[in-house]
Amino acid sequence: MYIYDEIDQQLVEQRVAQFKDQTARFLTGKLSEEEFRVLRLQNGLYIQRHAPMLRVAIPYGMLVSKQLRMLAYVARRWDKGYGHFSTRQNIQFNWPRLEDVPEILAKLATVQMHAIQTSGNCIRNTTTDHFAGLAPDEIINPLVWCEIIRQWSMLHPEFAFLPRKFKIAVSGALTDRAAVGVHDIGLQAVKVDGVLGFRVWVGGGLGRTPIVGKLIKPFVAWSDLLTYLQATLRVYNLHGRRDNKYKARIKILVKDLTPEVFGQQVDEQWQLIKDGPDKVSEEYVNEVSSRFVWPKYDTTLIENDDSITLQAAGNLKFERWLRTNVHDHKVTGYASVTVSLKATGVPPGDITADQMEAIADISEKYGFGELRVSHEQNLILADVRRQSLYSLWLELDILKLATPNIGYITNIIACPGGDYCSLANAVSIPVAAAIQERFDDLDFVYEIGELDLNLSGCINSCGHHHVGHIGILGVDKAGEEWYQITIGGRQNGGVNIDTNQTQIRGGGAAIGRVIGPSFAREQIPDVIYCLIQTYLRLRDSDAERFIDVVERLGIGPFKEDVYSDPILLKAPLNTEVVDV
Amino acid sequence: MSNSPRLIRHGELEDDLWRLHDITLTTLPPDEAYWMVTLDCWKVNQDSMSQRIHSVAILVPAHADSKDFLPIGVSSINALAITFIAIDFPNYKDGRGFSLAQILRTQLGWLGELRAVGDVLIDTIHYLARCGFDSFLVKEGHDPELALKSFETFTVHYQKSYPKPVKINSSQVSDF
Repeated sequence: MYIYDEIDQQLVEQRVAQFKDQTARFLTGKLSEEEFRVLRLQNGLYIQRHAPMLRVAIPYGMLVSKQLRMLAYVARRWDKGYGHFSTRQNIQFNWPRLEDVPEILAKLATVQMHAIQTSGNCIRNTTTDHFAGLAPDEIINPLVWCEIIRQWSMLHPEFAFLPRKFKIAVSGALTDRAAVGVHDIGLQAVKVDGVLGFRVWVGGGLGRTPIVGKLIKPFVAWSDLLTYLQATLRVYNLHGRRDNKYKARIKILVKDLTPEVFGQQVDEQWQLIKDGPDKVSEEYVNEVSSRFVWPKYDTTLIENDDSITLQAAGNLKFERWLRTNVHDHKVTGYASVTVSLKATGVPPGDITADQMEAIADISEKYGFGELRVSHEQNLILADVRRQSLYSLWLELDILKLATPNIGYITNIIACPGGDYCSLANAVSIPVAAAIQERFDDLDFVYEIGELDLNLSGCINSCGHHHVGHIGILGVDKAGEEWYQITIGGRQNGGVNIDTNQTQIRGGGAAIGRVIGPSFAREQIPDVIYCLIQTYLRLRDSDAERFIDVVERLGIGPFKEDVYSDPILLKAPLNTEVVDV
Repeated sequence: MSNSPRLIRHGELEDDLWRLHDITLTTLPPDEAYWMVTLDCWKVNQDSMSQRIHSVAILVPAHADSKDFLPIGVSSINALAITFIAIDFPNYKDGRGFSLAQILRTQLGWLGELRAVGDVLIDTIHYLARCGFDSFLVKEGHDPELALKSFETFTVHYQKSYPKPVKINSSQVSDF
């Protein structure tokens, strides 16, 4: 992990002190509610349905065991004994009291954690691939670049009051697992003539107006990264719309100006600052890189899975887990392992304090105490020796953290929904549970193959339903909960690193299309089942995934089957399609 | 309390003696001290400014375009006859003024006093100072003494191209 130097630590502590003062001024009436609102949001504090909600940053999803133990401590002492991993590599606590928040933040600061810029109209936590630093297909290790962006964006004096929130994602691998196409800025590492740089997509995003980002700059050399970001943010800060919050994201500016004109304006600004003080030097990159403690891998390990194969032969549960939750690692003899937070009946992404502590112990016992948080709301054990996989599985299984569904339909990505969130129009957790129950036969789940199912309780799209192969959106109609279904969305499509192919957009991300009128909550599992039946009937082989069939045949056949099913015809609601 | 000085300038609190000339007029106010005029008014009259004994201050709206400051073909602001430039924050959440200040400081050659007016909070002064503002009219209800202390809220920073907040702009001090 990255180890704070004095400056890093001082800044976090000074922000804690500032926030403590702001909270005290608010509580004594010296700061109005309206003034305090934005200041607390910039420190991750929302006022929610039941109590304040505190969102703690896990910068670029990297977490170590002692931090996880601290999160467990916070969950027990100030929350109800659990936390919720969001889709942006953050963790949320739903029950802290406002008066306690400064103390929570002070505790977090002792393990190099904070809540800075986890909300508000500022540059948010930069996200990346959940296999960052581990994946065999990396062009660069994005962690170093994410840290450079973290430093640059943290407490940025010019960009603290943007028209709207601003999210940056970085992918360092051939396969884009960071969903760069659906972020305000998506950075895809590329090498051109041996020089490392980034391909820059701007204006992607989900929410009310889902748009795939536009390729604004095919190549920005590594040394120019921060000044290019600065120029982009400056153009947005000056010209982004502030009259209508629904049109304030950078995607609207890019669209209104056209990507070409937007790109020109950024370039004009960039030319003026590109050789200024924020140009990235090799020395600085080395300095940041040297502050990471990288695992000391045993390089004598060889790839020998014989014993694992033997253990798996007699154990179907283990065999299934190996297949779905164990991932290739760049170092021979190691694997990355997904700890599933998607057991049926548990809100997706929820984790208890006991589980946090157990996982912290496990991460030290089987690896180097390093973890990643995925935007799919699971945890990743970073560096597990392959020869220990069986005993690891035994431990995880007892903890109910070994659900073998990663990449499959029941690995549902969902926001907390109307049970917790005051923005939501509809609940999401019970819907996710109902789907998981409907698909409780694992053989059938594997038969369906790779499938992303995403669920959002409202158009703010925290469950990223637009990029789900199947997406479910909760909508409100006359005070009732209804659910709209989209299919054909995806967060990536693999990346061609030939920079001449400027037609590639957003690493292949696509926005799902609405199949038709919305459904009642209890109909949803049957609707999903029907979509799956259509897929299974139409696929040309096991290798053709659900998303591939939608792409090949369009939404027509799916729509036809769903809306001609007499059971589903009961009472579909004719809602207008919301802004797709 | 409301009568105590609210203007932070040269690292100290002082009374704000400036008054805004009728914003509907593009004619200049009388040749007296402490008149602030709108950017539009200044643009119309900038050629005749040098004839005044008392220079004016310019009030710039948040939405101003940096190009408004320069006649075509000129690359930096003619500082003559301008006491200071004030950027208005209609609402502290409107961050355009931060970028505008940076452009004035780093691209338009404005070295003179740059004042933040309007919705200026204890909590925004630190960022404002780093973006190039060096005087601040603290909004009513915010303790100006606390605002003064906010220069030290953060003693270290990441962004290299934005200086540490300084209470005293060295280019002004040399004028004393």
